Amino acid sequence: MVGSTPSDVRVVTVMTLVGLVAGCRQREPVTSLPGPSSPTVTSQGPGPAPLRRLTKHQYENTLRDLFDLDVTEHLPDEPVVGGFEGAAEAQLPSELFVSRAQRSAQRYAEALVSDPGRLKRVLQCDEWTKASSQARCVDGFLETTARRLYRRPLTDDEKARLKAELTRWTAEIDFVGAVQLALEELLLAPAFLYRPEPGPTLDGDQLATRLSFLLWDSGPDEALLERARSGALTTRADVRAEATRLLADPRARRTMWSFHRQWLGLERLMLDEHAVRTPAVDPQWTAATQQAAQEETRRFVEGVMAEEGTLGALLLSRRAWLDADTARLYGATVGDTMLDATQRAGVLTRVAFLASTAHRGATSPPIRGNAINLKLLCRMPTPPPAGIDTTPPTRPAGEKRTTRELFEERTRPTACAGCHHALNGLGFGFEHYDAAGQWRATEDGLPIDAKGETPALEGSFDGALELSSRLASSREVQVCATTMWARYALGRAPVPVEDAWLNASAERFVQSGGDVKALLLDLVSSPSFLALPGEPP
Amino acid sequence: MNRRQMLRALGLGALVAPRFSFGQGQTPPKRVVFFVQPHGHVPSSWKMAIPNGPTTTFASRSLSTVTQAELSLVLQPLFPFRNKVLAVEGLAHTAVLEDIAYLHRNGGDANNHNVAVADLLTGNRAAQHPGFPCTGGAISIDQVLAQRTVGPGRFGSRVYGGDYVPNQVVAPFSFLGASQPTPVVKSPQAAFTDLLGAQPAPDVRSAKLERARLSVLDSVAEEYRAVAQRLGREGRQKLESHSALVRDLEVSLASQLSQPQCLPSLDASGHVTRQFMRLIRMAFACDLTRVMTFAAPVPPCSDFGYPAAHDVHATYAHSSVDGATSCGQAYTPVSERAMSDLSVWYGQHLAFLLAELDAVPEGDGTLLDHTVVVWLSELGTPTHRHHDAFTVLIGSGSGFFETGRYVRYPVLHDNPVSGDVNEWPRIGPAHNKLFVSLLQAMGQSDTAFGTTEATSRTGERISLTGPLTELHR
Repeated sequence: MVGSTPSDVRVVTVMTLVGLVAGCRQREPVTSLPGPSSPTVTSQGPGPAPLRRLTKHQYENTLRDLFDLDVTEHLPDEPVVGGFEGAAEAQLPSELFVSRAQRSAQRYAEALVSDPGRLKRVLQCDEWTKASSQARCVDGFLETTARRLYRRPLTDDEKARLKAELTRWTAEIDFVGAVQLALEELLLAPAFLYRPEPGPTLDGDQLATRLSFLLWDSGPDEALLERARSGALTTRADVRAEATRLLADPRARRTMWSFHRQWLGLERLMLDEHAVRTPAVDPQWTAATQQAAQEETRRFVEGVMAEEGTLGALLLSRRAWLDADTARLYGATVGDTMLDATQRAGVLTRVAFLASTAHRGATSPPIRGNAINLKLLCRMPTPPPAGIDTTPPTRPAGEKRTTRELFEERTRPTACAGCHHALNGLGFGFEHYDAAGQWRATEDGLPIDAKGETPALEGSFDGALELSSRLASSREVQVCATTMWARYALGRAPVPVEDAWLNASAERFVQSGGDVKALLLDLVSSPSFLALPGEPP
Repeated sequence: MNRRQMLRALGLGALVAPRFSFGQGQTPPKRVVFFVQPHGHVPSSWKMAIPNGPTTTFASRSLSTVTQAELSLVLQPLFPFRNKVLAVEGLAHTAVLEDIAYLHRNGGDANNHNVAVADLLTGNRAAQHPGFPCTGGAISIDQVLAQRTVGPGRFGSRVYGGDYVPNQVVAPFSFLGASQPTPVVKSPQAAFTDLLGAQPAPDVRSAKLERARLSVLDSVAEEYRAVAQRLGREGRQKLESHSALVRDLEVSLASQLSQPQCLPSLDASGHVTRQFMRLIRMAFACDLTRVMTFAAPVPPCSDFGYPAAHDVHATYAHSSVDGATSCGQAYTPVSERAMSDLSVWYGQHLAFLLAELDAVPEGDGTLLDHTVVVWLSELGTPTHRHHDAFTVLIGSGSGFFETGRYVRYPVLHDNPVSGDVNEWPRIGPAHNKLFVSLLQAMGQSDTAFGTTEATSRTGERISLTGPLTELHR
C-alpha cells in the first residue's frame, strides 16, 4: 500500500528519518535493552520502552489534579533532546534533580497536612486525634492517596513498610507529622517520579499511566485506574474508547499545548531576547507583551484543537482569544474574535511565531523559513559553508531597500544561494509581518513583496496566507507531524521496527485531513504503545 | 551545625565559629571553575606579542613586570591578578574540527555553534538527533571532575548561567553523559537555596521532623535500589544512579558546615552574573562543592555600551574579524570593536570572581591560589574558527600550573576540516590536552580525555592525548 507510488514524498520522509536514526552515531544504544525483561525485538513488534520519568510539567499537573495544589519549589527545567522534553534518553538523574525533588516533596507534604480539609482527603477520614481512629486513617491513606500517587495498588511489602514507618514516626513526633513524612516518601518514590514497566508484559495500570501522561500530561484519574483494574482496558477497542474519553476532557488541552509549543518552537518567544523590541518596531512592547503573546497563542492552540482538532485548523483558523496587548498588535477587538481575513490565518501568522523568529529590531526571512523547513517539513538545513558571514545586512545610509532586497543581495553568491533559496523562499512569505508580528502594508515606504517559492512545495505562493494554506494540505507536513507526535508519545525517536505502523498512521492522518485526535487514537493503539518489546501484539 | 541550621542561625544574625582551618595541618582542597562564554574573541583584541619569541616552538613571556597598558585589551581587567594568570595562545578545538570533518563526510547537524557548544567541554563528538540540533555526545570535563571530587556532604558540581541561544537553539555546555544536558540554574536565589537547603522552622517539632527526614531518604534510596533490580539495563542504570544520589543527599542534609571562611549569605545586588560569582566564592569557601561551571549569557548590547536594538550574534559577531571571508558583507571596524568590548565585559565579570576568590585567605595563600579558573569560549573567533582558541587559566591549582605567563603554542598539524585554507589553516595542540593537564592538576592520573585521535585533511594522524606539560610548573 504505502510506498508504491513514486511521487509519494510522505513515505520518503518517514523512511529517511527512521533510516538516519539507525545510521547516526550512537553511544550506548537505548534501543536495545538486554536483560531479563528485554527479549529480542521482532520485525513487526513493539519498539523499545526505555524508563521514563515524569517531566516537570507532568509532576506539577499530577499533583494539581490530585490535590488541587501548587507549590513554588520547582524541579529543574527539563532537558530538551531531539526536539522534546521528556526524552527518556536525556533523563539520567542529576544531583540537582534529586535535591529539588526532595525540597518539592517537603513543600507539598507540608501544605497537604497543614490544611485540615486537604488532610481529610489525604487520609480519607475525619478524625485522627485518637490512636484508635488512626489505624483506619492509615488504611484510607494507603488505599487511596498512596495508590493514586503510585498509579497502582501498593504491594503488601510496601504497605507493611509504610505502616511500620508511620507507627515509628507517630511515636517520635505525632500522627500528622508521620503522615507528612510518609507523603514525602511517596512523592520521592520511583513508583511516583518514574514510570517503571518491569514486564514481561505491560499491565493495565501501566497502560492507563501511558494513556494519561500522553493525553493529559498528567496522571490517571480514578475512572481510568478503575477500568484498568477491572480488565476493561484490554482490547484495542477498549483503549480507543478510553482515549476518546480522555481527549474530550479539558485536561487534554495541556497535551495539545505541550506538544505544539515544543514542535513549533512557540515557547522560544519567552527567551530573554524577545522581551525587547526596538521603538521603531513597537514602542509599547514589554516583557508583559511577550507573555501576553505567548498566552494568546496557547489559548489559540488549545481552543482550535478542542474544537476543530485538525492540523488544517491550526494553520488556517482566524479564531482568536485576545487581551488588550494582543488586540493592539493584531488591530482587533478584545475577547473571542475573528482576525482580519486578509491578514491572518492560523498559528504561523500569530505574534508568538512571528516575533520569536525575528530579531529585536528587524525580521529575518531565513530564520522564519528555517523554522518552517525544520518544524513543519522535517527538513534539516545544510549549515552555511565554513567562514560564511551570516550577519543580517544593514541598510547603507540614504539608500532605501526592503528587508527582502537586502537578504536577496546577501545570499546571491553561489555558495549561499543553494540553501537560501529554500529558506528565504519560505521566509519571504512572512514579510508582511514586522518583528513584533504586526501587519505592515509597506516597509520604510516601499511596497512589500511577499512572493515566495520553495522546493518543498510545488509552485510559488504570495504571502503567508497562501503559504499556510499550501502547508495545510501538504502530505509532507502531515507526515512530518505524524513523526513528531510519535516521538512525543514514545519519548524517543522511532526505530525501523515501527516503520510499518508509523507509515500506516501517517497515511490515515493524511486521509483524515489532518485529524489530530484520530492520529492520537492511532498512536495509542499502535504495537509500541500497547505492549513491551517481545510481547505478542 | 548542619546546613539548614546554619541558614536559621544566619536568619537570627549569628555568625559561625570556625571549627578547624585548612591551614592547620589540612591541605586546602583544589577547585575548578569553568567560565564559559559564547562567540569567541577577536584575535587582535586578546593576543600579545612575545618579544623575540620563537614562532615554530613553544614561546613564553612573563606577565609579572607588565603594565596594565601592555596587556592586551581583553586581558587588562585581569591586571591585578597577572601573577596568577596563564594565558595560552595557539590551542585548537581539534575535537570540534574532527567532529565537523566527520559530519561533512557522514551527514548530521554540522552547524558551527551547535557542534562547538556540544563538544567544547566533552572534547568528543556530538550526539546527533537527525532532524534536530545535536547535543553533547559524552560526559563533559566538569562532570568528570565532579564525579572525582564529590564527597560526603559535598556536591559534585553546580552549573549556573543563562540561555545561550546561538542559531535559534538553546544550548548548554555541561553534560552528564551522551544526550544528557546537566541542569542549569538560572536564578541566584534558587542556586543559594539549592546549596544550603530550605530553612526549617525554629521549633522542637520541626527539628524532630528534620531528623526523621533522614530515615525517609534512607527508605527512598533502598526503594530505588530494589526497583532497579527488576528493570533492564537502561532503567536499572537510571534508578541505581538515582539511589546513589539520594544517599548523597541524605549525607549532605546532615553534614556540617565548619569551614572558617564560610559565611553563607546571598547578596542579591548587582548584575546577575556577579551574584553568581559571589555564590561560587561562598560554595568553595564552605566546601559545598569543588567544581563550578558558569555558562555566561549573551548580554543585550546596551550592557556593554552599544545600541539596545542591536544583537551580538546578528549585528556584530560575524563581521568582527579582519580578513575573514564573508558572504555579501565584509569586516567592519565597528563590529571588531563591539566584540572586543564584549570580551572586556566578560573579563570584568571574571575579574570580579577572581577578586572574590582572592579575598578568602586559606592555608598559606588564598582560595584563588587553590583554584584553577578556566576561561573558555566555544568558538575560536566570532567568525566560527575552531582553531586559534582563546584559553586563559587563572590560579595555579595549588602550584600545579606555572602562572604569571603569556604563552604561545606553534602550529603543528594540518586542519582536519577541508575548506578555505586561509580561513582553516594549520593548527596547534588540541584543547583536550588542556583537560588532561587539568585532571592531573586535580590529582588524577588520566592521560587522555575525549576524542583521542583525529585525521588531518592531508591524512596526518593527530593525537589528542597527553597533557600540555609546558604549562605545568
